[in-house]
Amino acid sequence: MAIHADIFETKDPLRGGFFASVALHGLLAASVLFLPAILGNIRGDTWGGSDNGSGDAMSATLVSSIPLPANPQGENVLAVESRGLSQSEPKPEEKSPDAILIPDKQSTLKQRQRAVTPTKPQPRQVAVLEDNRIPFGEGGPISGPYGTFNAGIAKGGLGFTGGSGDFGSRYAWYVDTVRRKVQENWLKYEVDRNASTSQRTYIYFEIMRSGAPANIRIEQSSGIPSLDQSALRALQRIDTFGPLPGDYSGSKVSVEFWFDLRR
Amino acid sequence: MIFFGMMTKRFFLTVAIVTALSAVPCFGQTDWIRTGTGIGMEKIRIAVPEFQAPGADAQLQAMQNTFNTILWNDLAEAGIFEMVSKSFYPLGNFGQPGDIRLPAWGNPPPNAVMVAFGNLTSAGGSLAMQGWLFDVRNQQTPQVLAKQYREAASDENARLMAHRFADEIIFRLGGGVAGIAESNLFFISNRSGNKEVWTMDYDGANQHQVTHLGSISLSPRVSPDGSRVAFTSFAKGGPEVMMYSLELSRMVSFPVFGGSNLSPAWSSDGTRLALSSSRTGDPEIYSCDASGSNLKRLTAYHGPDVSPVWNPKTNAQIAWVSGRTGLPQIYVMDTDGTNVQRLTDEGYAVSPAWSPNGQFLAFAWIRHYGPGAPGAQDIYIMDIASHQWVQLTHDGGRNDFPSWSPDGRHIVFQSSRAGGEQIWTMLADGSHQHKLTSAGANTQPNWSWK
Repeated sequence: MAIHADIFETKDPLRGGFFASVALHGLLAASVLFLPAILGNIRGDTWGGSDNGSGDAMSATLVSSIPLPANPQGENVLAVESRGLSQSEPKPEEKSPDAILIPDKQSTLKQRQRAVTPTKPQPRQVAVLEDNRIPFGEGGPISGPYGTFNAGIAKGGLGFTGGSGDFGSRYAWYVDTVRRKVQENWLKYEVDRNASTSQRTYIYFEIMRSGAPANIRIEQSSGIPSLDQSALRALQRIDTFGPLPGDYSGSKVSVEFWFDLRR
Repeated sequence: MIFFGMMTKRFFLTVAIVTALSAVPCFGQTDWIRTGTGIGMEKIRIAVPEFQAPGADAQLQAMQNTFNTILWNDLAEAGIFEMVSKSFYPLGNFGQPGDIRLPAWGNPPPNAVMVAFGNLTSAGGSLAMQGWLFDVRNQQTPQVLAKQYREAASDENARLMAHRFADEIIFRLGGGVAGIAESNLFFISNRSGNKEVWTMDYDGANQHQVTHLGSISLSPRVSPDGSRVAFTSFAKGGPEVMMYSLELSRMVSFPVFGGSNLSPAWSSDGTRLALSSSRTGDPEIYSCDASGSNLKRLTAYHGPDVSPVWNPKTNAQIAWVSGRTGLPQIYVMDTDGTNVQRLTDEGYAVSPAWSPNGQFLAFAWIRHYGPGAPGAQDIYIMDIASHQWVQLTHDGGRNDFPSWSPDGRHIVFQSSRAGGEQIWTMLADGSHQHKLTSAGANTQPNWSWK
């Protein structure tokens, strides 16, 4: 009689465990897959992290001051009647009521109006902003044909500060004289021939009552030393701009002279 | 083919670069002349309608004509204005500020930037002028200048008023450089039979004789204050420096140094004179006080040294003509005789004249001198610092004895281009040349200091 071992006959106890194992592994895999989402839903953003939960470090930038927009008008808005930093609204053409516009002249009229409105961005007031405050109506560039010039290689302009703030508009002929004199005394051959463009350069000077320039200094360099020097020399070469207008009461006017090199 | 194309490209590039490089100094030249002389690049367009004389009688009408002509000429010759042609002016009379409608002047055709206008009236033997200068582009406050003059009614005074008003306009718009309309010229003329010192207005008007020595007078030089004229005279035999007082209208004493004494020149402060003296045998440069005392010798080199002239800006340098290397050349030295520098390097260079701002020397130069050379003598100016020079006259003849106007924008000189020696004037860039004298032979002009 053969020995019959019924060990193989017994019911396989592993079958249930196997399925349980598969189910558990599936659960584990599912939990691995969905855990971040579940955790994210529960815990929200990690502190200092970004929205997608990738865990970037927070970046911080140092600022010297809070970059609030500058107040263009200053505090005493009602103190003077001047229209402010620049002539924003060109004066409407005054026509006598019975004048009839000749159609042919319209084109020239348009050109004239276009010339009055400055197309270039106006310089910011660097030199005159003492204590970071401009009394309303003081300073500002001269718009129109007076304050800007074209010296062949550079385009520039002048800003006047003085008196009750209307020096530039009241004594426009003087501004024109200053502009012409600066332009004439600027020797273009002193500028490095390889230089073609520059940053906007600001030069500050004062005109004394006698007309002599004083306190000439570079406010913002062009980055091209020969250009800075040539502009400085242009002013140093000038003995006088002519005495300030007789009915002007101040002892001096401050001038900011800016230009861009364009070759 | 491609290779050829590349070669062509490279060739054109090279040509372009060479052209650009050679063109640069030309631009530079016009730059420094116009800058240094104050003539400027940009002219102001000015309209000058006739000054009105309401209810004019014959005399006032004559004065009105004189005034208008002189004012127009003074502004046209100033070197900083572009005169708007009268045919472009609006119709009407413009004697008062109320008559001026700015847009009519500012728009084409006149397209003016400035307008000068006014009126003349005569009452009780006096002539009154009211004049205005308006900035056409400034609608709110157009007035730049308003002037009123009153003088005894005469043609001479109408001329004077026109000169004054022109000078005021030039002073305001020319950047503080005083106008020259009231300046004078001193020169040598033989129209009385002898070579005497004469004077005239800067525009050639009002010519009259100053000295009456009946001899030969040369190289007149007026003092900075306009009170005296120093000149070279042969009245005592050999050439001597003599002095004439314009205030006293007679000769005043000046020492006799011995030898030949030539070509006096005033320092700009009026305290010193430089001259050439051969008291030691060889003509050398000396300086002395305005009275002739305190004589100092400055040069000590074999060969003639003549025609000294002071740097009017500093009075620290003297330019002169020296023949120490053969042909005359222009030299510069300090006023103590040190630091000698030669400025011209060839030809035949004489008659230095220093510009009022000290930047330029004007002189007469025959650049190619000798047999077979063209040999034209022309006026040149040289920038002292850079030694660049520019030729101002090109019209032939002998051009000599340049002298600067007090504003540095004009040069008066002597030229033989129209036949005999006559006095001519021009802007310091060589433009606007015209003749001032015509009677007799007129030479060696010298412009007054103010």
